Formats: sequence, structure tokens, C-alpha cells
Amino acid sequence: MFGYILRRLLYMIPGFIGIILITFVLSRVLPGDPAVMIAGEQAPPDVIAKIRVELGLDQPIYIQFVDYVKKLFQGDFGTAWHTGHTVLQDFSSRLPATVELTLASIFIAILIAIPVGIIAAVKKESILDHISRVFSLIGACVPIFWLGLMFIFLFYSKWGFFPAPMGRISDGINPPTAITGLYILDSLLSGDMIAFKDSLMHLILPAICLSTGTMAIVARMMRSSMLEVIGQDYIRTARAKGMRESKVIMKHALSNAFIPTLTLLGLQFGFLIGGAVITETIFSWPGVGGYITDSILATDYAPIQAFTLMSAIVFSIVNLIVDVLYGALDPRIRYE
Amino acid sequence: MLGKKKWMSSLAVLLTGALFVTGCASNANSNQGNQDTRKTMTIAYSDGGQTLDPAEASDLTSDTMTMNAYDQLVTYGVKTVDGNQKADTEDIKPMLASEWKVSADGKTYTFILRDAKFHSGNPVDAESVVYSMNHVKNSQNGSFMYQMASIKKVTAKDDKTVVIELNRPNHMFLQMIGMYTFSIIDGKTVKTKPKDYLKTNTAGSGPYKVDSWDPASQAVLSANTSYWQGAPKISKVTMKFIKEPSNRVMLLNKGDVDLAIEIPPKDVDSIKKNAKLNVTSTPSNRILYFAFNEKVKPFDNAKVRQAINYAIPYDQLVHDVMYDQAKQLKSSIPSSMPGYTEDGFVYKHDLNKAKQLLKEAGLPNGFTFDFTLGSGFDDWKDDAVLIQAELRKIGVTMNIKPMARPEFLTAVNQKTLTTYISKWTSFVNDPGYHLGLLLYSKGSSNAFSYNNAQVDKLWEQAEIEKDKQKREALYKQMQVLINADAPWVYLYEYNRVVGSKKEVKGYITYPDECIRFFPLSK
Repeated sequence: MFGYILRRLLYMIPGFIGIILITFVLSRVLPGDPAVMIAGEQAPPDVIAKIRVELGLDQPIYIQFVDYVKKLFQGDFGTAWHTGHTVLQDFSSRLPATVELTLASIFIAILIAIPVGIIAAVKKESILDHISRVFSLIGACVPIFWLGLMFIFLFYSKWGFFPAPMGRISDGINPPTAITGLYILDSLLSGDMIAFKDSLMHLILPAICLSTGTMAIVARMMRSSMLEVIGQDYIRTARAKGMRESKVIMKHALSNAFIPTLTLLGLQFGFLIGGAVITETIFSWPGVGGYITDSILATDYAPIQAFTLMSAIVFSIVNLIVDVLYGALDPRIRYE
Repeated sequence: MLGKKKWMSSLAVLLTGALFVTGCASNANSNQGNQDTRKTMTIAYSDGGQTLDPAEASDLTSDTMTMNAYDQLVTYGVKTVDGNQKADTEDIKPMLASEWKVSADGKTYTFILRDAKFHSGNPVDAESVVYSMNHVKNSQNGSFMYQMASIKKVTAKDDKTVVIELNRPNHMFLQMIGMYTFSIIDGKTVKTKPKDYLKTNTAGSGPYKVDSWDPASQAVLSANTSYWQGAPKISKVTMKFIKEPSNRVMLLNKGDVDLAIEIPPKDVDSIKKNAKLNVTSTPSNRILYFAFNEKVKPFDNAKVRQAINYAIPYDQLVHDVMYDQAKQLKSSIPSSMPGYTEDGFVYKHDLNKAKQLLKEAGLPNGFTFDFTLGSGFDDWKDDAVLIQAELRKIGVTMNIKPMARPEFLTAVNQKTLTTYISKWTSFVNDPGYHLGLLLYSKGSSNAFSYNNAQVDKLWEQAEIEKDKQKREALYKQMQVLINADAPWVYLYEYNRVVGSKKEVKGYITYPDECIRFFPLSK
């Protein structure tokens, strides 16, 4: 088992090297000179030239690459000029926000999609099945930006159920004492119910908004794998033994049907971090997504590179975890 | 199965334990005091800012933060135009310098400093002025303003006297040192700090201190209670960074922010309908123009450029695209700049005249050209489509090529495009600055190297002319010549649209578009 995990970790390294190289080259090949963006539209050419020298952009690309890798090994991800902070500072303040949003939306997706998928499979072709199909279709098709704006318009502007879409917590309320960086968890851990309630209210709308796509896909996946399992011989056997239907479904069918869904959730986690971009912009959520959008628009290389590398690492590790979880769900799967 | 259950129950015990232990201790919100909402203000901005260094600031959020954390040697007076308060850049008022003298040759300025203190408690002295000016000189972005101001040498004569020598007389000098770029920095404090201290910290004497700044969410500024002009009326200003313009409007409508900037023109009417809100829409120095590359045929022919000028649906642009939150531009400089004239501006929407000019230019059947549309501004796109439709009526095909902003700015700098539209804001409210950068042949932002020897001569003459009247007459002559050459199509000058709660008072429009928080109250 540990040998397997170690091997998988080692296999990741060439992938990361490839990613470092590709993002580096791609960000430089794209047209647009960061020095022009830094200097602003009114700056004369000599100012732009000065900035180019300062950033090392006047050097040939391979020298820039060597410099970049050297710094990377020293743990220096560079400075984001469009915020004036180092990339690490920016990430450490924004990553918890994105992780909180992503985890919450995965949580919501699981909470709703799995039961819906199971019911849709068990009551196949019933009215419940059809309803779940229509909602999945809507969930998968509705653009997040539209949904987000509608949420804000209805639930904040019109009815006032939720607080203003400005960040993670209201103005007059102090963020909870930082332990994990996730406001919900931190406020619970420090028993800060004021912060808990407020940050939860801030989280709900963007989390639902972000989860719709995942919810739809997971529900459909759950339904189809459940249907497949229900047709198997061992389910018939279980029923023949006189076992209660609920136990047949929850114990025998679910644990087998869950494996493909788990794979999907692992993949979705990676997508959600990327998909958070739009949600974060609409809800002014101070996460990594909005930061990366700004970096791209500003041709700010350092954060883009760091983010791609970080996403690759997160993605690989989540998928490794998923693979390990298979073993827990299905005793037939063994790792050597 | 038992193992799993055991594991779950121990987790539950652990979590309850953690809650119990920490729950009794005080948390971040255990001592919530009520804040007086009349003394705090929340303002919605769009971007999060890039730096707190006044010499490097070049975006509105950074400019605003530094403007409020620092003072300058001088500042501008305020006048009332159409019921709105507006900076009068021709009326230079004392700030950190209580008085100043100019030598007879106009090359030496002697400033006497008032008694003021930096946030650190250090006094504002001549040395700090010398430090600040050198800081601008050695900066990336500000160094060019330093050159524009023609500063040669800055010396501390005694503790409270600073002498600034110029390379040549410069009528813009006093106006320029009133800008945020030339903020007076507490050099003594900065010298004890690490190298990039000023990028993320402030060391000024201004009415506010920047308590925290997170480009992802907000900046919090608290009042400097020992400010030399008295403590500000608003004790805490929160700048919220809200990218989505419709959200800024919604927040304002709901009363969750006191003031919001960059209101989209289409939303102005909805805010006006809200009895609790005010809209201040004032002319700015931001102009929009359509530039031709005269090196590309047929734009080398003035008749062709004039024909395009006659084909532009000016009223439609101002009314349908900008919802009247703009005004037709009728010269190469904005109308609120001193020395402005419409003389020689003959163009109006007249397709027959346009066709006739094309015929005279030998192009009766029209022609085809490329137009580059830079991203990032919704109105540009609408303008381009409307202009394209009008040009089609005179047989001219305009191919719109969209381009991302970084690539667009690079291409503009390299002068490789054929035509495009672009905006320009002159922070220095002076035609010498504006025309010197945009239409003087050696100007660094001269779109396609427009070159008219007569215009150049007049500009150089005006640069050294000390008499205001005579100087403005020269600038007027320049504008007439430029109007005839038609190197651009003048599209419109933007209004600066700010929405606020009715009770918010003290908003003043400045050419740099930064809001000064000190005069604000509610």
C-alpha cells in the first residue's frame, strides 16, 4: 500500500516538470508585454524599457526559464506586480477562501445529488426520475454567471435573505481566529457563533451556484451506475434472501455503485477550483479564482505559473486519494 | 464495522472536546462594540489596486489610497460648476508648503514648510521633501513625471525651507507637484524598513492611514486624528473591491455602500429613481478618440480622414451607447481644460458630405480597412459596431478585429495597427501636457506619430511662454491646425459618474479622478 502511494508520488514528478515548462513557454508566447501593462497606457517607451530590464524580460527566454526554475527550488514563486505582493502571500490569503468555497460546493453536491441519483435509479421512469432528469439538465446547462447574478438579484437585492455579495464576512464582524483559514470551521472551533452564522450566510449562495454543474453530473452518474448494479445477480440474491429493500440498496448496491461517482468527484474537485473563477468574480469572493483571472488579464506571469503548478499538484493528490479510497470501498481492489 | 464505529465516536468526542475548550475562551467577536455608522463610510471600487507607493501608483485604487495617506507640497482650489464641486487646477493652494516664492527667471522655487507631523510622529521637514523628490526620480513610473516637471535639483536650505531648481521655466510645475506622484514621504521611517516597504505600507502625513489593504477584498483607512487640518469627519473608510459593475449598483441601491464609483451609464437612470440616492455626473478629462495610421493608404489623404469624420454618428454614440453620460468631443483636448476651443471643428454627421469627400479623394466606391478593438470597455464595442454600420453607407468596409488588452497596448506602442479607438486621461489639466504627449511629434503617446511642423513650433513656443493668456492663445492655434488635419476622429468625453447616498456630502471631482476622503461627511 505505502509502496504504491510512494510510486504514484514519484510518477507525478515528470508530469510536474512538463507542466512547469509548458506554462512557462505558453505564458511568454502569448502576445502582450507585461512591462506595458505595468507602466500603464501613458508611460513613455524609456519607462517601459526600464521595467523590462528590471523584470529580466530583455533576457532570452531560456535564461528566464533557468532563473525561474532556480527560484522555484528556493521556494520563491515570484511577485505578482498587479497586487504588489509575493505570489505566496497572495495565495496564503486567498487559497483558504477558494478551498472553503469548493469544499462547501462539493458537500452540497454530494448531499443532494447522491440521494437524488439513488432515488432516480430505484424509482426508474417514475415521476421522481423525470423531475431529477429535468433538474440535472438545467443544472448542467445554466451558465454560472447568469445563475449567480440571478441569485444576487433575488436573494439579496429583492428579498434580502442573504447579506451583500462582498467577500466572506460582513463588515462589522471580525473574521474568526485563524486556525485552518476556513471561516466556517474556524468559527466553530473557536465557538464564535456570530462569525459562524455570518460567514455561513455569505458562503451559501456562491457555494450553491458553484455546485449546480457538479450536482447534475453526479446525480446522473449515480443513477446510471446504480441501475447497472441493481441488475446484478448478487442484488437478486440479496433480495431472494428476504433482505429489506432499503438494506439491499444502501448496503449492497450503494457501495458498489459509488466507485464511478467517487472518480467523478475527484475529477470535479479539480474542475471546481478552476470553475470558481466566475463564481468568485460575481460574488466578490476573495479567492484564488478572481486572482488568476486578474493575473491573466494583466499578463502577470508569476501567479499564473504558480497557480497552474498548484492545480496540477492538488489534482494529482486528490486523484491519488480517490484511488486509495477505492480499496476501502471495494475489498477486491488491492494495491501492490 | 466495529472499528469504523469506534473511529467515528472518538472523532465526535474530539470535536466536542475542542468546542468545549475553545468555546469558553474569548473569540474574535466576543467583545463587539457598536460602531457609529455616521462616522464610517463604505465605498465600492472596481479594482483592488497594485501598490501603495505614490511614485509607482498608476491605477485609480492605488492613486486614491496614496492620495489620502499622503500630503503634497501644494494642492488645488475648489470651484462650483453646475452645482457640483470641482477642483480648480489653475488655483494652486498651500498644503504642506505654507508659502512659496518663484525667482524672476521662473527657474527656482523656494518653499516654506508648515508645522505638520507624519503618522509616525516625525516632523515634516525639508529633508523629507528632498527624500520624496529623489524617490520619484528613481522610481519606475514616476520618473517620467519628474522629467515632465523639469526638476533639476532639490535642496534643503534649512529645516523648513526647500529649494527646487528647474531646468527651464515650466508653467505646469506647481500643478504637477500637487499630484499624488509627488507625495511627501516620511524618509526617516522608510530608511529603517526593508527595501520594498512603501509598496505595501504608507508613511505619510495625510488625513488617513491605510490600516489594511487586501487587493482581493478591501482596504481599510482610519482617520489621522492629529492631522494638521484637523481630524477628518469620517473616522473609518472601507474601500470594497467589487469587480462586477451591476453588483456595485445593487449594493448602492440596497444601501450597503455609501458611495460607488464607475457606475455603468445604463444604470444611472435607475439610481436617479431611488429617492435615497444621488448621482454626480461631471465632465472628466477622459476622452475617447479614433486614431488613423497615416502611413497606411488611403489614410495618408486628409480628405479620407475628413470623410470618416463626417460619417460618424456622434449623437448616437453619446445617446445610445453612453446614455448621455458623455459629451461629444469637439477638439483634441477635453472641454474642461484651460485653453480649449472648438474653432476649426466643422464635423457633424453628414453622409453626403462624406461621400463627396471620398469622391474628391479618388475613392468614389469606398475602400476596406482594419479596425482593432481593444478589450475591456463595453462602450468601445458598441461604438465600433455603430461606426461600422455608418461607414458601410458610404461604401467603406471596416473590419473589426478584437484584441485582448495586453496585446492591444503593446500593438499601440509599436504603432503597428491601422485604426483603433482609445481613451486618454490627462491628470495634469493643461494642454501643454495633453498635446505634448499626444500630438507633439516627439510625444511619447502620439498614436501614429502625427507630425505637423507648425503645431510643433507652437507647442515649443507655448512651453516657455510665461503669460497665461498668450500661452492659451498658442494652444488655441494648435487646436485649429489639428482640427483641419484630422489625425483622429474625436468621439466623446466621458462623464465621471459617482453614485452616493443623499446624506453623503463633500464629494469633489479632480482631474486625477481620485476621491479625497477628507472633505467627505454624512
